[in-house]
Formats: sequence, C-alpha cells, structure tokens
Amino acid sequence: MAADTDARWVPIAVSADIPNGTVVPARLPTRMIAVWRAASGDLYANADRCPHRGMRLSHGFVRGQTLSCIYHGWRFGSDGACQKIPAHPAVEPPNTINCGPLPMTEANGVVWGAAVSPAVAPDQFTGHNALRSLVIAASVDAISSACKGRRVDGTIRAQLGGQNTILLMNDYGSGEVQVIALVPSGISAPNGMKVSTALEVLRRTAEGMGDAA
Amino acid sequence: MILYDYILSASCYKVRLLASLLGVELQLRPVDFHPGREHQGAELLALNPAGSIPIFVDGDLVLTESAAMLTYLAARHGPDWLADADARATALQQQWLAFSHRLTAELGGARLVEMLHFNGDLKALQSNGIAALRELEAALFARRVAGGTFLVGDGPSIGDIACFPYVALAPDGSISLDPYPSIRIWMRALRAIPGFIEMPGIHRLHELAPDPFAEAPS
Repeated sequence: MAADTDARWVPIAVSADIPNGTVVPARLPTRMIAVWRAASGDLYANADRCPHRGMRLSHGFVRGQTLSCIYHGWRFGSDGACQKIPAHPAVEPPNTINCGPLPMTEANGVVWGAAVSPAVAPDQFTGHNALRSLVIAASVDAISSACKGRRVDGTIRAQLGGQNTILLMNDYGSGEVQVIALVPSGISAPNGMKVSTALEVLRRTAEGMGDAA
Repeated sequence: MILYDYILSASCYKVRLLASLLGVELQLRPVDFHPGREHQGAELLALNPAGSIPIFVDGDLVLTESAAMLTYLAARHGPDWLADADARATALQQQWLAFSHRLTAELGGARLVEMLHFNGDLKALQSNGIAALRELEAALFARRVAGGTFLVGDGPSIGDIACFPYVALAPDGSISLDPYPSIRIWMRALRAIPGFIEMPGIHRLHELAPDPFAEAPS
C-alpha cells in the first residue's frame, strides 16, 4: 500500500456526488477525509476529524463558505482555520485550531485528493467523464480479471455495457477498492445505465473470485 | 388517531415522520419496549397478537404494519404521497414498501443486536443489509440519471418514508453508509422537506436553520 505521505493524486469521489453546500466522507490510503463544496461551488478537503472532540466532520454541515461540526458546531473556513466556537461566541478562536486542509482538484468529473501537494496535475482522460463510484470488496487484480480489463497506468480499461470504460482505482488497502468509472462524454442515459448495471455484475464477479480463492 | 410508540423504533418514527410532513396530529401512547417489553404484555397483545410495535388505532380501525399506517395516513391526508398515478407507479410503490421490510429485517436486525443486545447472526444480518443498500444505491443512481430524486414519481412518497429510517440508522448496526453517494443525496432531499422531524440518530439539516452568527440586518 502506498504511504499516505506520497505526493500523488488519488481519485476519491465523483464531482456530481457532492452538490453545492454539502460535505461527504472520502478516503486517502491511510486516512479518512471530509470533502465539502461551499455554496459558491468551490471544493475543499480536510481531515475527517474535528480538532475539538474528534467527531467526523463529514457528519457536519456546510453553510455559505464554511464547514461546521455536528457535535458542538465549531466552524471552519476553507483554510481549515476555526472561525467560531458557538459555546463561546465572544472568543476569537486561536489560529492553532485548524482541521488540516488537504490538496484537492477536479477533472473529468472526478475529485482527486492528496496528502501532500503533487508537483503535477492528475492524469487527464480527454473525452471521458465520471459516471459513478462504487466500493468493491476485492483486490485490484480480481477486479481487472473479472472485467477482462487491460491495466494502463494504474487504471483498468474495459468494455462495460458496450462502452469504452476507464476504471480509476482507490485501493483502501483493507480488501476494499473504490472504483470510479469514466464513460465516453455525452453518452445517453440508457447507455449510462447499461454501464451501471455492468458495474454491478463486475462487483459480484470480482467479489465471488475473492470467496473462491 | 393513536400511535403506540417507542422513541428508538424506526418503524414508529416512519409514522410520526409522515404525520408531521402531512401536518396531521397523532396522539402518542409511549410503549416501554426496552427494557420493559411492554409490547409482549397482555394489554398490547390483546390489541396486536403479533406482539410488535407500532400499533395504530383510529376508531375501530387497528393497524399493526407500518406500511399500512403510511398508506392510511397518505390516503386520508395527502394522496400525492401514494404516488399511484398509473399501473407502473402503483406497482413500484408496492415494491418499495415490500423492500422496506428487508431493510427492517436486516439493517434493523443488526441494529437490535448491536444496540439492544438481541440475539441474532450479526455477520449475516450485516451482509444481507449491505446487499440491500447496494440495491437501493443502484436504484437511486438510476433515478438520478433519469432526472429524479425520489424512489417513485416526481415527489417524495410513502415508499421513501418506509425505506429512509432503517437506512439512515444502518451505522447503529455497524454498517457504514460511506460508500453510497446516491443514498446520501436522497436522504438529504428527504431531510430537507418542510415538516421533517428528528429521532435519536437521525438529525435535521442544521444549515436550513438561521445562522446564529449572521450579522443582524441593519
């Protein structure tokens, strides 16, 4: 498994799965992160842990350009700095209280995160866009073999539901892999659904292989 | 209308939730489900020999299945929530109401084992619960692709209310909801409906309340 300190982009979510004003949980190889989209549409990521009592910030809520913890309402800005502590409204939070912002970028409808800022942008997949994300309880090898795929630079290329599909892998290292499927841009809704159904079949097949081994 | 109710029961909460969304007042009769097991006592068994809660009483009508209670409330007070405009929608509605029983058995079963130490095969309940969540996620993704948000039709319906609580409480049975983005978006849409009420473990959308730190209008 890759070290968390790697300066490399990891595919962690589908852009469309994070509407404006929401926060979602996501994973880097060795840590849980909270990814949130401000009212403006700007996307941010930080540790999925409130520095106050350790509550997951992905259980929290987004208001305007800030993320708040569900537990005691500590409010954080895009730089991770704590802006407000509701129980002590008159207190100016010290700038040592920070929820740990992380690098983040979007391309091809995919959200990429990293523990340390990589020097280069994530790979581009011109002409493809993210369809959906699903977690498969199997190895990358089993997934690749289940869809008779071709391994290319950390991705799997396969024909799924009659479409040239690119599978991006986020290996959690715990026997589970998050797969983000990219399909040709502008495919019809029925064709998108064929790929979605093929992904469900792929998951059953790959997980079945794990049982047999 | 009287609801024999237990605050931690997701099936009771379904009925309270729909009543609130419809603006209908229920008379709540608390049941000491745990640790008192009052639902297995003589008085409640006389009303519901199955020994389960919720129990719903309206005049001489006694209902003991939450899906039937949702149907009754919607038919009387909000027919749009039946989403039965045509044969297809009527059938899908029945399918989701039936599916909700799987959620109750598997996700709810895992929750009873983890939370109230009931007997049960936790691993099997969790594995079957995850299978049901994956089916729901795929179905809700299909709805999103078609431009929809809820399970049947354009608006929320009793099928959504029947399925929502045990899904939202899956983490009580140590089943993570992290892998399901379409379920997350659907639950958010349900929690945003005016009149939404909470139960322990299911909180409202705080961002919809006024910002306590907002500058007073000048």
